[in-house]
Amino acid sequence: MAILNGCEFPEDRAYFIERTQMTWVKVEGDRITVGLTDPAQTRAGKILHVRLKVAGTSRERGKPIATVESGKWAGPVMAPVTGTVVEPNAEVEKDPSLLNTDPYGRGWIVKMTATVPAEIATLLTGAEALARFKEILEKDNIRCMRCQT
Amino acid sequence: MTETTSADPAGKKILMVMTTGPEDPDKTYAPFYTAALMAAMEIDTTMYFLMHAPELLKKGAAEKVPLKKGGSLKMFVDMALENGVKFLACAESCRDLCEIAPGELIDGVKLVGSATMADLALEADSVLSF
Repeated sequence: MAILNGCEFPEDRAYFIERTQMTWVKVEGDRITVGLTDPAQTRAGKILHVRLKVAGTSRERGKPIATVESGKWAGPVMAPVTGTVVEPNAEVEKDPSLLNTDPYGRGWIVKMTATVPAEIATLLTGAEALARFKEILEKDNIRCMRCQT
Repeated sequence: MTETTSADPAGKKILMVMTTGPEDPDKTYAPFYTAALMAAMEIDTTMYFLMHAPELLKKGAAEKVPLKKGGSLKMFVDMALENGVKFLACAESCRDLCEIAPGELIDGVKLVGSATMADLALEADSVLSF
């Protein structure tokens, strides 16, 4: 587990970092699980509502798979690769605070099949991902904390 | 909290008519926040600013509109633009009431005439007024 500014970055994940997006991706064959990173949940603040795309929804890379609201932030969670939602996290829909308290665990957002597997290689991993996060954390002055319910 | 999910609103059109300017800061935050959220839901969202509302779009103005919980309106204006909300300012209001020259508006604002609001209202699935 790498840590920058108090933000945790598990080494077994790939990362989608574009514009305002900072999501993690766990790749298992052509199946991926997507969630918010520690800095993404910190920047959003305590998340109050989440809407997830239903199973069967096809999304191009960069199109929303969820919307998240915290009262101080409202925005989309983009598909990190082109694919189809196979399972939205029903537990997170019932309790959105899991996105804050356990972003890399129970707070996952959706599971998808990747229909353009080559896009997975465009996600950032390891030192390359950490260097990009370091840049963003410094620029936006983000120091991570986990909201408690 | 459980969110009741209705049919996916993606592709619908909403027009938000904004008439409040910096004279009433408490009424400025919610429209930008709501517009940002709707755009994130892939709703084609347009904010039309008239009367004193264009004053919020003057360069440096949103930074001076304080919010109750701290900070300024600027982060919500930026959030709406980042999420893809379209900002249209009434040319007549800018010229005659707010006395704002086109070059004084923030990037991303398009100046349009009043007839545009009529077109947008008729085309929209819903019109919200603030």
